[in-house]
Amino acid sequence: MSKVYLVDGKRTPQVKSGAEIKDIAAPFLGHYLVRNLMAKYDLPKDAIDEVIFGNTGTPAKYPNVGRVIALEAGLDKKTSGYSVHRNCASGMEALSQAYIKIASGRDDLIFAGGVESMSQMPLMYGKKMTEFFMNMMKARTVAEKLKILSSFRLTHLKPIIAIEQGLTDPFCGLNMGATAEKLARELKISREEQDQFALFSHQKAVAAQKAGKFTEEILPIVYGSKLDKILTQDVGPRDTSSMDKLAKFAPYFEKRTGTVTVANSCPITDGGSACLLASEEAVKKYKLEPMARIVDFHFHGLEPERMGMGPLLASHYLLQKTKLKMDQMDLLELNEAFAAQAIAVLRGFKDKAVSSRWGIEKPPGEVEMSKVNVNGGAIALGHPVGSTGSRLIVSLAHELIKRNGRYGLATLCIGGGQGGAMIIENLK
Amino acid sequence: MNYQKFSYEIVADIVYIGFGVNETKSLTTLGKDTLEELERAIKEVGVLDKGRKIKGLVFFSHKPGCFLAGVDVNLISDLRSETDAKKGCERGQSIYSKIEDLKVPTMALIDGICLGGGLELALSCKKIAVSDSPKTALGLPEVMLGVLPGFGGTYRLPRKIGLPNAIDMILTGKQIRAAKAYKMGLADFIMPSERLLELADKYLKIKPTDRNKDLMQKITANFVGRKVIFQKARETVLSTTKGFYPAPLRILELMDSGANRNREAYMDMEGQAFAELSQTPQSKNLQHIFFMTDRSKKTDSFEEGLKKVTKGAVLGAGTMGGGIAWLFAEYNQSPIMKDINLSGLELGLKQASSVFRKDVEKKKMTEDEFERKIRSIEPTHSYSGFNGVDLLIEAVVENMEVKKKVFAEVEQHVRPDCLLTSNTSSLSVTEMSKALKNPERFAGLHFFNPVNKMPLVEIIKHPEVSKETIQALYKWVLSVKKTPVVVNDGPGFLVNRILMPFINESAYLLEEGVSIEALDQAVLNFGMPMGTCRLMDEVGIDVLVKVGKIMEDGLGARAKASKLSARLTDAGLLGRKTSKGFYLYGDNGRSTGVNPHARELISTKSVKMDETTIQMRVFLPMINEAANILMDKIVDNAEAVDLGLIYGIGFPPFRGGLLKYADSEGLDRICEAIREFEEKVSKDRYALSPYLKNLADTHKTFYSA
Repeated sequence: MSKVYLVDGKRTPQVKSGAEIKDIAAPFLGHYLVRNLMAKYDLPKDAIDEVIFGNTGTPAKYPNVGRVIALEAGLDKKTSGYSVHRNCASGMEALSQAYIKIASGRDDLIFAGGVESMSQMPLMYGKKMTEFFMNMMKARTVAEKLKILSSFRLTHLKPIIAIEQGLTDPFCGLNMGATAEKLARELKISREEQDQFALFSHQKAVAAQKAGKFTEEILPIVYGSKLDKILTQDVGPRDTSSMDKLAKFAPYFEKRTGTVTVANSCPITDGGSACLLASEEAVKKYKLEPMARIVDFHFHGLEPERMGMGPLLASHYLLQKTKLKMDQMDLLELNEAFAAQAIAVLRGFKDKAVSSRWGIEKPPGEVEMSKVNVNGGAIALGHPVGSTGSRLIVSLAHELIKRNGRYGLATLCIGGGQGGAMIIENLK
Repeated sequence: MNYQKFSYEIVADIVYIGFGVNETKSLTTLGKDTLEELERAIKEVGVLDKGRKIKGLVFFSHKPGCFLAGVDVNLISDLRSETDAKKGCERGQSIYSKIEDLKVPTMALIDGICLGGGLELALSCKKIAVSDSPKTALGLPEVMLGVLPGFGGTYRLPRKIGLPNAIDMILTGKQIRAAKAYKMGLADFIMPSERLLELADKYLKIKPTDRNKDLMQKITANFVGRKVIFQKARETVLSTTKGFYPAPLRILELMDSGANRNREAYMDMEGQAFAELSQTPQSKNLQHIFFMTDRSKKTDSFEEGLKKVTKGAVLGAGTMGGGIAWLFAEYNQSPIMKDINLSGLELGLKQASSVFRKDVEKKKMTEDEFERKIRSIEPTHSYSGFNGVDLLIEAVVENMEVKKKVFAEVEQHVRPDCLLTSNTSSLSVTEMSKALKNPERFAGLHFFNPVNKMPLVEIIKHPEVSKETIQALYKWVLSVKKTPVVVNDGPGFLVNRILMPFINESAYLLEEGVSIEALDQAVLNFGMPMGTCRLMDEVGIDVLVKVGKIMEDGLGARAKASKLSARLTDAGLLGRKTSKGFYLYGDNGRSTGVNPHARELISTKSVKMDETTIQMRVFLPMINEAANILMDKIVDNAEAVDLGLIYGIGFPPFRGGLLKYADSEGLDRICEAIREFEEKVSKDRYALSPYLKNLADTHKTFYSA
């Protein structure tokens, strides 16, 4: 297996759905990142072997968003492009496929990342309305048409909300929030603990914004109905948050007895991220100075109703595979789908009583909070589903350099009952 | 029979005439030889037709992207008299009428450019088929040369597409794309270019459907409807040409009075009108501009392997930077737009967006294309990505220290072969070049505001610049459909230096007591697109104060600036941008009349001066300064001055350019007038240029110097 380098990574500002960047279609959350990196490293437009993007919404207009991004970014028409879907880890899946292709010597330069416009996920007609349309089209005579017309009921117009359906597990029938609630219940994670975690996420993100920590990773994006405005920062982190304010939110998924609120969960978000990956040969050929090396990755399944514990399993087995230890990790990017879920994972890392429930007798080891999501996590920054997997790597790589750390671990839970993890090594 | 200018072939009893063989130029035109051969060929076809030996006649082109680009303009400019011109017309008319009179089906297959005499040929066929290629464009541009389509175009076009559309095409010279041509009935068939020739025999037999008998045509069939249309057209012509151009009105008169004549009588009238127009000074001047512009596009002698631009960058956003970013984006050179301020970047985007938005409103651009164009501009605060830039245009504040600092900095972020340019309008490019380690790839590249509307770009040299840099920039300017003029460094370069005495003298006239209205009217009546006061409001009166100082510093006493601009600036009257200058502007940006406050600030005096004197007071110093510019070798020749002023400030084209105008007035008369002002008005500002004096003394002209 050859070495795989992360040359550079960039991301869009992330914004709660329905706000500033709601009108930006998925490809345009990625193409300009690719274009910028192409120019930055002065790569010929036919130098890229593959463009792989994660995306879960799969816009009807752009079924293969990866190829559209390749073309919109101005890459040569010969460039292969495709899209991958592994729910919340789609962006990490894109990076993983790029890793395999370069490590195995098939490819030399790959753009991998993720894009998601959750604002643009559609409302759909139900089965009955669809049937109604079909029958109307088939009907030939006026009498037939009238007959079918009379079968119409107003209830047929009730739409199916794609995003709501997408966030509900088709196997166990639980909403994602409900799976977090289940973990909170079973592991006795209190409401206060969750709110405290959420507040901390906002405080870290606001501090990072103020310190200009995101300048290197975020590329400003053009938005607005006339496309004449520019957004440079994430819209989400609040410096006005407080325990009192967080306490006021009612539980959302389990109304009477629950602990998970919209304020201690990640918001539905729009955003994109892109990484340039290279082989040893490409690094030499184009005189690149990579930020990091991708050490390895791992995906692991578990019961869908406790999908939030995925990172524990994925991280554990990745550490085993790479023969690295948790205490060698200088930074951890643990996606905050829900505060309860993230707390559960952190507990699983250190507590055998917890980890053994998932068959891990020797937990990977405690991670100090000072290493976890140091610039805030998804609760403050948002979670654009298709992008987050690579967004974590982008943030991790930039921060490792700033802190002069060596190894970093990015891990996230995946709807449907999986976890994903990837380790990178700082080269700067 | 043997033909050199086109192929002539009979296949399955159909005659195929194919233009564009043995043609080395990129566009095929109808020259003298082609017309002679065509006359012979049609005679031959006529005989076959009479003997019922053929089933059809098809015209096509061998040259990709061009059917026929019209009659060679040299043929028009060579016409020495009305009699000559009339004869020329009659000959073409007679060939085309013979085509029209053939009994067999006739058809023109148009794939690419089809203009003027080319379209008139197509119109004399019974059917026209066009390819759906984006290069296909049909038009009658003769009016732009001050003449009219003289081979029966004004007769046949209204019969094909109806009066209103025909008048519009003939008066504007606009080019119609394939889909539109089919929709308006100019083309009878539309198909992919690969199919045109293949399906010709089939379509020759098909009778085109009458798709264009719409309401407008029914209206124009009656007398009252026609009168209304011609009346409306006349009003439009007068308001757009202000009566400076005789051709449009003559065309309307011809089409109106000839409407009920038979073909032969009409052709006689058309020939007569063409003959008269072809000998007017306006037409001669427009032809002069045509040739001058054409020559400026020649780059055959340039070096091989010049730097090509695929990615641009603009430093300093704002209105000008945004305009330049728009230009890069329009020509798919996905620019980076860098500014230190977010507000500057947004202003730049707004500028680009508003121009592209207009294309969307006019349905020239889809929403998707709009999104792609705007998103091809990358607004940023950083130098990330500058490594991929081929051409950088700096448009930061007009301050030498700042610009030097920016260039020293930017040189570290671009490749060694990246072309570096400054859009300065007034600072020394030579001085600026000193900030660079590699000044040979640096030059001035001066755009005029607004970039999307103003065609001129001054390319400014300095002692260290390489020939390759200037040539690469020249080619780039042409490729983005602008007109380049290469100039040497000096205060105000070319255009602003000549504009200086024009604006300055206007200010002195106002101080002498000439009213704002009288001054602007006199300038407008000369043919300028706007009055001086209006122009000053547009440019910004505070800007003029700064530029005036630079001119005075560089050129001395003759450029001594009037204090008027400074007084207005101090009072906050900066022009349109503050909604008040010489004029007042409403919330919608429209002018609401002269600003009384400005009137008070200008002068307490009031003088009645006749229009000609006002005109001489402002235009003579321009001619004088142009002579100085030639003396200082800022540009090589009079042609460059005229190109610069026509495309840079809209100097009236019917006058052929400032120096063409001076030549036609007589340089001795001009010297005399300048000397008179030198004595009566100012010995500094009207100090006769030695270069001009020498021309007059030796009985030369600007163009023969």
